[in-house]
Amino acid sequence: MEKTTHFGYKQVDVEKKQGLVKGVFDSVAGKYDLMNDVMSMGTHRLWKNYTIASSNVSKGDHVLDIAGGTGDLAIKFRKKVGPTGKVILSDINESMLFEGRKNLLNHGVIDVDFVQANAESLPFDDGTFDCVSIAFGLRNVTHKDLALEQMFRVLKKGGTLLILEFSKVENQMLEKIYDLYSFNLIPKFGEFFANDEDSYQYLAESIRKHPDQETLKTMVLNAGFEFCEYHNLSGGIVALHKAIKA
Amino acid sequence: MFRLAIEKALNHLINVNNIDLKLIDNKIISLRVDEIDLGLFFLCLNSRIFVIERLQNKKTDVSIVMNKASFLAMFEGSTLEELLEAEDIEINGSVNTAQQLANLLASSSIDIEELISQYTGDIVAHKIGQAFRQFKEASISNHGSVISNIKDEITTAIVAPSRSKLFKGRY
Repeated sequence: MEKTTHFGYKQVDVEKKQGLVKGVFDSVAGKYDLMNDVMSMGTHRLWKNYTIASSNVSKGDHVLDIAGGTGDLAIKFRKKVGPTGKVILSDINESMLFEGRKNLLNHGVIDVDFVQANAESLPFDDGTFDCVSIAFGLRNVTHKDLALEQMFRVLKKGGTLLILEFSKVENQMLEKIYDLYSFNLIPKFGEFFANDEDSYQYLAESIRKHPDQETLKTMVLNAGFEFCEYHNLSGGIVALHKAIKA
Repeated sequence: MFRLAIEKALNHLINVNNIDLKLIDNKIISLRVDEIDLGLFFLCLNSRIFVIERLQNKKTDVSIVMNKASFLAMFEGSTLEELLEAEDIEINGSVNTAQQLANLLASSSIDIEELISQYTGDIVAHKIGQAFRQFKEASISNHGSVISNIKDEITTAIVAPSRSKLFKGRY
């Protein structure tokens, strides 16, 4: 096992990363939704809608939304599974869960369970869920391979894994514009809207350190999934990996 | 997007009608339509269907290869046996399994025009869709099969284009 890992562009001790990521999300939790809207110019809502549409979730299904944060996906999944289904929103970060609970209550959603859990050691039985999702969370996980194995374990046969995450931009011109935007403007937005430039600098850096589409697909297949396809959204700024446990 | 639309349409149909999928459960069915270069894999697991574009070194249980006309006929409800008799289709594997998928596709709310446009371009798809609807309407009113209507129409178009519905009003 490696002793150091990346935290944005910095190399840090493996055991320190989780605490550092916690610091970032404790800091941004209160402004998380606002910042998502500002940074993506609202596009994150379309990416999430596409994820829900791709989920193949139906009435009565059990869904786990990992790193569910403020509960955007959980609210939509709740509607899809209906009263006979179940949605669990999990996040390692207490501040994000607190924001999630507030957000769901504001939307009149009271029947979603909240679980504070590390994606690398999920506290659920094997074969519990029809769908597991993780949106903009995997890149913050220290041991992604362990987390993917856990996701595989808790899924039923025929269950679907959805990973929505920033990825590698396909077009070189777009990549340059995107780099300029994320390293110059996003931290400034962070400073202006959330009074926190460093956390948003980390967010921009962590995106570049995240595996590209093909690498992540290989990691997903290595975790045990038999089928995995990805769909680039907004030119590859974001990719949705959909995997099936056969 | 198109793959997703098919997947959604099929699963909606299955959920709304509580369709029993035992014939295709745990099966991988490939469907290929020549002429429009459409190729998809249908995987049935956990009482739902997944539609995927690429299969990672997996063997299919049933493979269906057909031409555009038989594909349209299938959507109209022609059975695969009828199409096999007309030698418009090739099936490797269980015909019953293939037929259940064909039934699902035919009963779903898939927009045939939209579907074909992904492969041929909007104008061609629109024309195919238009022709398809004409044939479908003609089939319903004449109580004839779509295949024979298509054949009749093509024959008319070749032998006497001025009498064909395809060219109606263009002379």
